[in-house]
Amino acid sequence: MTKKINILTSKLVICFLMLFILLGCSGGREINDLEIVIGMGVDKDENSENILLTAQVVKEGEMEKSSGSGGGEGDGKAFWNVFGTGKSVFEAVRQITHKTGNRLFVSHNHVVICGKDLALEGLQKYIDFFLRAHEMRPTTIILIAEDRALDVMNAKPETEKLPAMNITKLVKTYGFTSHFYKVNMKDFASCLMCGTRAPIAPLVGISQDKDNKDIYVSGMAVFNNDKMVGRLTEDETRGLLWVLGKVESGVLLISSPNKQGKVAFEILEAKSKVIPEVKDGKIVMHVKIKGKSSLSEQTTAEDLATIEAFEKMQKAQTEAIRQEIMAAFDKSKELNADIFGFGEMIRKKHINKWKSLKDKWDEIYPTIELNTDIEVKIQKTDLLKKPVSPGKEEK
Amino acid sequence: MFRYISKIIRYSALKSKNAIHDDTPDKNNNEPILSDLEKNLEKIKGVLRDSSDVTFHEFNFGHDRRFKGALIFINNLTDKNEIHKNILQPLMYDVLLLKKDVNMDFTKIDTVRKNLISITGTQKLTLMSDLLDHLLTGATILLVDGAKEALAIKSQKIEHRSIEEPGTEAVVRGPREGFNENVNVNIALIRRKIKDPDLCIEKFNIGERSKTDVYIVYIKNVANPKLIEEIRERLSRIKTDAILESGYIEQFIEDAPYSIFPTVSNSEKPDKVVAKILEGRAAILVDGTPFALVVPMLFIESFQSGEDYYSRPFLASIMRLIRFLSFIISALGPAIYVALTVFHQELIPTQLLISIAAGRERVPFPAILEASLMIFTFDILREAGVRLPKAVGQTVGIVGALVLGQASVEAGLISPIMVIVVSSTAIASFAVPAQTDSGTILRYLYLALAGLAGGFGVIMGLLATLLHLSSLRSFGIPYLWPIVPLNFSGLKDTFIRMPLWTMSKRPNAIVWDGSDSYRQGPGLMPSPYKKDSDGSK
Amino acid sequence: MSIEKGKICNLQLLFLITGFVQSSVLLIDFTVVITEHQTWMVILAGLAIAIPFILSYVALAKRFHGMNLIQINDAVFGRFLGKVISVYYIFFLMMTLSFNILDVGELYATFLMPDTPFIILLIFFTATCAYAVYKGLEVLARVSHLFVVVGVIVIVSTFLLLIDQMDFSNFLPLFELPFIRIFHGIHIMLSIPFGETIAFLMIMGYINKTEHMVKNTLIGLFIGTASLLIAAVRNTAVLGNTEAIWTSPSFQSTRLIDIGTVLTRMDFLIGIAQTILIFFKCSILFYALVVAVSQLFGLKSYLPLVLPLAGIEVIIAATVFQSPVDHAAITQDAGIIYSVPLMFVIPPLSLLIAKIRALPKAERGKGV
Repeated sequence: MTKKINILTSKLVICFLMLFILLGCSGGREINDLEIVIGMGVDKDENSENILLTAQVVKEGEMEKSSGSGGGEGDGKAFWNVFGTGKSVFEAVRQITHKTGNRLFVSHNHVVICGKDLALEGLQKYIDFFLRAHEMRPTTIILIAEDRALDVMNAKPETEKLPAMNITKLVKTYGFTSHFYKVNMKDFASCLMCGTRAPIAPLVGISQDKDNKDIYVSGMAVFNNDKMVGRLTEDETRGLLWVLGKVESGVLLISSPNKQGKVAFEILEAKSKVIPEVKDGKIVMHVKIKGKSSLSEQTTAEDLATIEAFEKMQKAQTEAIRQEIMAAFDKSKELNADIFGFGEMIRKKHINKWKSLKDKWDEIYPTIELNTDIEVKIQKTDLLKKPVSPGKEEK
Repeated sequence: MFRYISKIIRYSALKSKNAIHDDTPDKNNNEPILSDLEKNLEKIKGVLRDSSDVTFHEFNFGHDRRFKGALIFINNLTDKNEIHKNILQPLMYDVLLLKKDVNMDFTKIDTVRKNLISITGTQKLTLMSDLLDHLLTGATILLVDGAKEALAIKSQKIEHRSIEEPGTEAVVRGPREGFNENVNVNIALIRRKIKDPDLCIEKFNIGERSKTDVYIVYIKNVANPKLIEEIRERLSRIKTDAILESGYIEQFIEDAPYSIFPTVSNSEKPDKVVAKILEGRAAILVDGTPFALVVPMLFIESFQSGEDYYSRPFLASIMRLIRFLSFIISALGPAIYVALTVFHQELIPTQLLISIAAGRERVPFPAILEASLMIFTFDILREAGVRLPKAVGQTVGIVGALVLGQASVEAGLISPIMVIVVSSTAIASFAVPAQTDSGTILRYLYLALAGLAGGFGVIMGLLATLLHLSSLRSFGIPYLWPIVPLNFSGLKDTFIRMPLWTMSKRPNAIVWDGSDSYRQGPGLMPSPYKKDSDGSK
Repeated sequence: MSIEKGKICNLQLLFLITGFVQSSVLLIDFTVVITEHQTWMVILAGLAIAIPFILSYVALAKRFHGMNLIQINDAVFGRFLGKVISVYYIFFLMMTLSFNILDVGELYATFLMPDTPFIILLIFFTATCAYAVYKGLEVLARVSHLFVVVGVIVIVSTFLLLIDQMDFSNFLPLFELPFIRIFHGIHIMLSIPFGETIAFLMIMGYINKTEHMVKNTLIGLFIGTASLLIAAVRNTAVLGNTEAIWTSPSFQSTRLIDIGTVLTRMDFLIGIAQTILIFFKCSILFYALVVAVSQLFGLKSYLPLVLPLAGIEVIIAATVFQSPVDHAAITQDAGIIYSVPLMFVIPPLSLLIAKIRALPKAERGKGV
């Protein structure tokens, strides 16, 4: 009995060992054979109907050297932009292997930049690859370049070694001013799938400052379905974010109560609630916003830490916010793009009425009315109780 | 079945064949001791003629020197002082002081024993084989002409190590004595800690040629009698030449000889062994080794150390969790590294990935080969380190660190992160001493699986190990108790160590229903002194 | 005479059932295509409808204590018809087992390790399942609570980590989809997580005390369904209307976790938990299959059949479907039809016949 078990065990062990030999270590890729892609850009190729794909690949050896003091061979760049062309994105990706010798590894891709010409033509044809490829992650940020994506990818930043990481950092810290918004692939696809909601994406431009090229975010692009139709400025974007409840922080500037200077407030937090109302074919959106702010700077010497001054300033704040929201709303009506997602809100709350409104949404949207109810409380005045005012002393 | 029978037949045939060709007088003879002194001495001298350290001392004693006697002993095993003062002197001189019982008949060994020999520990012998056995264990044999029995007198003096701190189980807090090679000293150490009349110490004699003393130590009403019965049965089954160390016994009685996990624990410290005996286990002490075996063993015991119970619960719990983590790191460290960097690079954060890739630029080997080389080198280092003479130890330590660490990285043979992974694995493997051997094997196994199928292979390996561990039993008790047959009262002492005053019952997998399973009373939580109501005191 | 010498206790039954139901977490991703944001309703409705049927299984097991399904069939339906129905059950178990093994293979082939050859994954997985069955039912039952704990921890922690990305208005409007799709979804839910518990009829016979079986089964079902529900709610709340386009919403929603820069890339957690849970389910199904086949042929022990059946299962799993699309289409449409009589018609019928004929008789030849 033991001999039989021993023979069986040895046969099994041999089969198992053969597994190792026959199948080897397939499926694995050595880490230094990877071409780690951290950013991709899609443009229209100038000469043909193809698209031009730029992939920013990390050069690991260069990353280890310290930045600044560029002593050393080469241009000291820690990245390499490779180009590939093709009729579809996947074809272009594989085309790039002709230049790199290894398959691209896109799991660490943080950002996808689309050129403006592509955005104007319509993005739906091109984003399928970025959602479907199993190495891509839905947290990838999507951006639109003011001109061409490869210019943005080429601009070498000062503090970071890799432009794509720099751009990602820029966009992720939108919260400091709330003048633009981070849109990842999943949100973009979600808006596209809706049919009534207009997707938005940040616009990235390059400013030539003496001989430094700096990348900056210049606004938000608005799409109708998948074609870009217009842009939102910073204030309009913040108006949109007020309604969506995604404002994290920012600066609100109002005139001081005595009209002699300006007062700046830091927004501490903001919450919003939108209640749609459909009555006899007329749609009214009630927007309720509640927020908190703190007094951060004043240019007048007036003592503003009084209750009356607070009340006046709160009213002024409310008015300023309302203006931002209405600016966004007017722009959206002008572009006929439902960036707020009002259609979705009506669908969720009033499904029966939505069925009749759905097909005519393009005509109905400009007729929507917005009703705002804003309440922003001033919570603190930071470190100064009274401002520094020259020449006045208590006698 | 038939193979077993044929093996027995072959074994006995071989034994009888050897016995026929043996031209010395049979050792296993059951011949009685004759009353003629000369004949006895001749026979013994015949058996032991090639041993030059046996002393035969013939003398006359009694009034008028009527009786002839002989003392036989082995020089180096006996205490000469004892023999002279307490055997020869009373026999040869003090008997002369007897005035009244001048006619005591000393051909009866009992008379000699009860009236003259002033040593305790004497035994009457009637068979020659017993005589030889006792002689070889260090007793002095007294033969009297005309007596059909001999007297074996215990007079051993064996050189042994003094009680020192055990080398393998150092503690910060707790007693520092350890067992030594003399089993009587060890039993004395245990007796010092358990002064209970229920403590049973059963003696066995195992080994054909070594006749080693083996003792089972347990507490009568606490240990399960079925367990003790099982141990007795397994010990009596052992038929081997010699038992040199408790490890021999362990390998003959363990439950799962083909498993890599030990099911019998061993320890050098008396307080650890005593604590386990008090929980209902049985200890097996073997002469000639300081390592005592304790059965049954549970997996979590490898993570418990005596210090845990002497310190306060908070630090002890943290240390226990760290030990669990170390075991996991030591078994899985290289496997996870290989699986992550070869198969699942998307799981590593970007910055880290770039650093690892930069470090591996110049390395010519694939990651699996690199990892296995490093682990193998570390095992070589560890093995060599144990056998180094003390003088050379320091130098090799420095060479090891330099060569294997810095220089290899600079030469481009391995990547720096590999050094970190292997060194943390190595250090972690020493945190759980009872499982170092299983940890080493598991490390290679998981590495192979990781190299073949990445994370999936490691998960399958872990599942197979878990299933194997849950099916192991140590003397009838599930090996992974209290984790796998889930038992909440046992969990008090597994991952964390609850305070002593909560652990009032013995682990109930080990004790049986009829026994006394409460080891301490309830309500023992300490609290500050309560003042009297009127504030006095 | 029973083949399995071991006994399981009631608490272990609870954990076995919980683990079994929980392992269908990724299965919900199949139904999302049909039921979109109303998946949670479908799960609850499925549970409500399945409870009486599962209680009928428990009643059957209680009545025929100590006998497994094949023996019950023989006793209730007579020799010949009983064996025919047993063959039907065995066929069902074989196909279900190979579909589940295929599930794991597809999980890895699509998401986690697409470059590894498919057959290695299948072989490793089936080999480990075979090892588990070789060790016996008692070992499986003993480790069941560990698997359940792992599953619960992973599902609950991914839920908690995604709370800030959740948008609960994605559940509105509540009753948008046409009823036929809901019905289809309920049908799938009934036959796959809940209906497959018919395999437990092979195991419930070995329980040592039958008093609390109903309570334990129900608690197990509730905990398992709660896990499914939490997963479904998490997916819908996080992904919104994109839920229906992804192949596996569970994976994509975990990929969205991004807290600090440390807690990113957590989709491997789902992968590990799912592998472990499906392993558990496959071991139970494999065990049921092996014992059923050896009982049918009257063998004394099921051990010799483990390896051959494992080989057969691997081959079926590797060759039966051409692609995951095929797999999804066939299991959604055809698979639920052939399993309906087995799960919902035959057991209550057996119970009825047993009551009418006053079985089990006092002097039965087989059984305990």
